[in-house]
Amino acid sequence: MMQNVVFQTVNGLIMGAIYALMALGLNLIWSITDVPEFSQGGIYVVAAYIGYFVVVSANLPWFLGLFAAMGAGAVLGFSFEKLLYRRMRGMTLNLLLSAIALFFLLVNVAVWLWTPKARFLPLYVGGEVVFFGLQFSRQRLLVLVLSLLLFILVNLFVWRTKPGKAIRAASQDREAAQLVGINIDTVSSLVFSLGGALSGTAAALISPLYAVYPAMGDLPLLKALVVVILGGLGSVQGVLIAGGLLGVVESLGATFISSAYQHGFSFFILILVLLLRPRGLFGRV
Amino acid sequence: MVTTLLSRQVSLRRILVLGAATVVALLFLSVPMGATDYVIYVMVLAFLFAALAASYDLLLGYTGQLSFAHGAFYGIGAYTSALITLRAGLPFWVAFPLTGVFVFVLAGGVGFPALKLRGAYFAVTTFFFAHFVYLVFLNSVALTGGPLGLSGIRPPEGFNLPILGVVDFGSLRIYYYLALAFLVAVVGFLYILVRSRLGRLFVAIREDEVLAESIGINTAAYKVLSFSISAGLAGMTGSLFAHFFRLLHPSTFTWMTSEMIVIMTLVGGTGTLFGPMLGAGIVTFILELMRFAPELRFIVWAVALLTILLFEPKGLAGIAVRLFGRLV
Repeated sequence: MMQNVVFQTVNGLIMGAIYALMALGLNLIWSITDVPEFSQGGIYVVAAYIGYFVVVSANLPWFLGLFAAMGAGAVLGFSFEKLLYRRMRGMTLNLLLSAIALFFLLVNVAVWLWTPKARFLPLYVGGEVVFFGLQFSRQRLLVLVLSLLLFILVNLFVWRTKPGKAIRAASQDREAAQLVGINIDTVSSLVFSLGGALSGTAAALISPLYAVYPAMGDLPLLKALVVVILGGLGSVQGVLIAGGLLGVVESLGATFISSAYQHGFSFFILILVLLLRPRGLFGRV
Repeated sequence: MVTTLLSRQVSLRRILVLGAATVVALLFLSVPMGATDYVIYVMVLAFLFAALAASYDLLLGYTGQLSFAHGAFYGIGAYTSALITLRAGLPFWVAFPLTGVFVFVLAGGVGFPALKLRGAYFAVTTFFFAHFVYLVFLNSVALTGGPLGLSGIRPPEGFNLPILGVVDFGSLRIYYYLALAFLVAVVGFLYILVRSRLGRLFVAIREDEVLAESIGINTAAYKVLSFSISAGLAGMTGSLFAHFFRLLHPSTFTWMTSEMIVIMTLVGGTGTLFGPMLGAGIVTFILELMRFAPELRFIVWAVALLTILLFEPKGLAGIAVRLFGRLV
């Protein structure tokens, strides 16, 4: 029993790390455009396929697949911003609608080009590690370590570098940021590329554990949106804590309460937290 | 002189509008006589979606609250009505208003905590509510039949009319008139509502929530009321769908359904009631016309949507304004 609790907690943390990775990009985009960026769900799917083709079809090492997915995500995010979002800046409803349309578009392009059939990747690293009598697959630990590493890197970028400072300024007040000479176009390009890259990486990291198929992005997108709201807009550490919390509650809830409602628990946590703290756990007031 | 000329022009315009409305009404009334079963079937669905989009417009277009739960209330209405007739054995004509009341109250219960949140926070919470409702449809097998669906739903009971004889709602052509009558009733109700004092209160909240609150409007209560009315109408539309399609499956009420309603409303132009109805009709027909290439259906549709958004951000209503100078 106790062992199971620990085991499921760790599994939950790993899922939470993936949610947090995707939510990090969403959070940055959301805080500078005021829009929940649904197209990240589509980027996630396309990047997972790119990673699959590099690793399985081209038979290249797994880290190249990871980089390819990251690059594909960045390119998609960058071009969406450049071609579409830039022309609708400030029109929240239209931005939201375009984001939903792009999500539809990418998922259906994936169905059309690559069929709805699920494809499977080999594990990046095989074998298991034993901690205190509990077995964990190396793959899962790799996911956890790499996502934490990325998380720290992005955090350092946002808090310790000049472009990061520009992003924070733009997210607080777009017009004031422009007044002090911050180029809002550059900041947008940067944030959308970063968000795309993070979604792509999350997809490539998780796909060997599950499968690659066109609808694979739906639930991670949903969960990443919850994580952003739970953690609070504009809060980077909030994303990490909310991601972990959501992953653990889902994992424990699925094991001990009902596996059918695994994806419904997020709704209750969301309502509960928002009723107590309407701006999220760490949100700015 | 000038005034008489002006008033003559106005009355001429009124005659033109009335004439056009009569022609459109006659066209809609005569469709079942000429069209094939398939066309009538698609039109019934288009009417139901038009009622959904118009009722959603009350919340989004007039009260300014973006919700992704409209499809969920539509689904709850469909299942509630089906279960009332199947399990309690009540006739459709009792279940139909009962469903509306039930969904109205339920939406009040959901809206009360959720509408304390603002903007995108509220939108994402409703998004999750919709997903949760879908999970309930899928997993509470004893109640909803789960993934097997709910079958054996009967069409509304027919009745005798003095001249026309027996009205049988099992017939597609008769159901067409039922759906059309429902749509007209919904739009008529909403048209009167948005022009009433209550409707102006909703618009005040949309325009500036803080300002509305500061002049003494209980914004929280009115937002919940708008949410509940719009949801109750969606529930009744769901009831009509259940007794038309006679088979309910959870996959009809995924979060995509809610997204579609949002898109229909925005494509038509929010805050116009007629725009969203037109949007619903056009979207339903485009998706049906594309059945010959099922894989390309949503691709073409998404590209078309993005094109409209880039070049005509106000939706179809914006195009109408451009063509005719004003919204008829």
